[in-house]
Amino acid sequence: MLITGIKSRPVYDLLRPLPGGKRHIVAGQGSGGRAMLRLLDELADLGQQATLLYSEESFSGQNFLAQLQQQPAVELRVYASNQALLEDLKGMLGQARMGTRLYLTGSESFLGTAMQVYTAFDMNRDEVLREHSGTLVRRVWCVHCDTYTENVTQRVYQCPGCDLTLVVRDHYSRRLAAFQAVKADAEVPGELPQAEELDT
Amino acid sequence: MTIKFNRDETYRDDYTFANSPETIARVPFPFPDDDYMYSMNLEPHVSVGDGAFRAAFDIDEHYISECRDRAITLEKDPGMHYVSAPHMMEAQWDLLELIMESYARDYPEYFTLEREGRNWHWVNRLLEIDDHFTFGDPATLPFEPMEYITRQAQGDWVLQEERDGTLYWGAGIATQRADYSLRFNLGMSWEEFHGPVPLVKEIGMLDRALKFLLRLRIGHPVRRLNWSLTVNPRLEVSAESLPEWAPDRTIVTPENAGKRVYLRIELQPLHRLPRSNAIVFPIRTYLLSLEDIATNPAWARRMHRVLKTLNQELVDYKGFSRYRDAAVEWLSQYDKEHGKEDEGERKAG
Repeated sequence: MLITGIKSRPVYDLLRPLPGGKRHIVAGQGSGGRAMLRLLDELADLGQQATLLYSEESFSGQNFLAQLQQQPAVELRVYASNQALLEDLKGMLGQARMGTRLYLTGSESFLGTAMQVYTAFDMNRDEVLREHSGTLVRRVWCVHCDTYTENVTQRVYQCPGCDLTLVVRDHYSRRLAAFQAVKADAEVPGELPQAEELDT
Repeated sequence: MTIKFNRDETYRDDYTFANSPETIARVPFPFPDDDYMYSMNLEPHVSVGDGAFRAAFDIDEHYISECRDRAITLEKDPGMHYVSAPHMMEAQWDLLELIMESYARDYPEYFTLEREGRNWHWVNRLLEIDDHFTFGDPATLPFEPMEYITRQAQGDWVLQEERDGTLYWGAGIATQRADYSLRFNLGMSWEEFHGPVPLVKEIGMLDRALKFLLRLRIGHPVRRLNWSLTVNPRLEVSAESLPEWAPDRTIVTPENAGKRVYLRIELQPLHRLPRSNAIVFPIRTYLLSLEDIATNPAWARRMHRVLKTLNQELVDYKGFSRYRDAAVEWLSQYDKEHGKEDEGERKAG
């Protein structure tokens, strides 16, 4: 589980069957497939069925599609990208009724953007669980040009939007589903902070 | 009481902002002791004296120029300095009412509010505004209610909504914010937006302050002071514009610190709002150069001791690591005794 000293970073959960659920939607991406399989076993023990949404987009190249396809008695929807999955999820939640339980698992970027989707539907805390899996890459927002960059692994990186060299601050916004980055050498041009790998 | 307004000051480019001796004398100096650490420095916001604590929302000689600087900032980058979640409209009207009532009551020579049911008539003689509108109908104002009224008010304003036992940023106008991004902070909870502040969580203050504020009642506002340092009398020091103002941190020397370094004092009179149950956090900023502070020898001596002994984590967070020493050296001329004590201690040790 992802635990850091960053106080604005969400504290993620461990997926487990939520009580009172009549319809379970399990959405995951890449290495999140492992947690999906574990949850499906637990739901099956309780005689509960689930709808699965799985995106094959993955930074680390992990793919659990074959195992998920072998699961009995589930509806499986497969997507090439996280964005396509989230679009479909938006449609499903728009039709959803009381008793819907949502389970999310994957990268922090996937969880964050999926949280934006369910927050728009005002789902309650006891209706959603989120489990982080995979690498510690970050989705980062450039405060200067409004560009989002996926899969940032270094404290200092170059913004593809404005070309500035940025430093990632340890501060996370759920609304933007991203960490904040600012010009790294703002005080003295060329004087950069120490390069380091994030979350290692 | 008549204020002589400075109509043409600038907070950017040529920085013609300057305080009169009367204005210096009335600012809320934020240091009660020779050393500083975050504390629960909340007190009832009752009218005291004829300085910054007299009115519910204080205005001073900079009112007109500060409102103009806000307008410049808002027009330069639309959507960056004023943001509101769609469900905050009720709180926005609450805030408009609170500011109009307070200004009209505390400064009748400059502001007038007339009400007949929902038909309101607002006159702001300082900015030459005379508007009729329907309370509760945003279509009758040129801006959303919060933006409309805070374009006519000194200081930044943040509306926090209460939900799930905590406070969330629902809306804000921030053209004077100290190195944060309003768009980034919108929607954050109490714990989240205080995340980068060092030590407040660890010393237990964050939880205590939240508990206290959740009990804040309508008609019983409280106030607190906060502070930081900045270079030049610049209000717009947002995270977004960091590349424009951060280089100024390198120009401070022990010789020019008196003119270049400014103490930013934030007076925060927090009010519970009646319909929405939101809490408004006004952040009313006062800028004093170290030279302004030195006109009061007791302030200069205290400021020297505070800066000299300040915890390095707070120095880094407040962003003056690069010029703390220069500011301390400049101020030391007003605190010769303190240096001697240090030497005495070293000899004794």
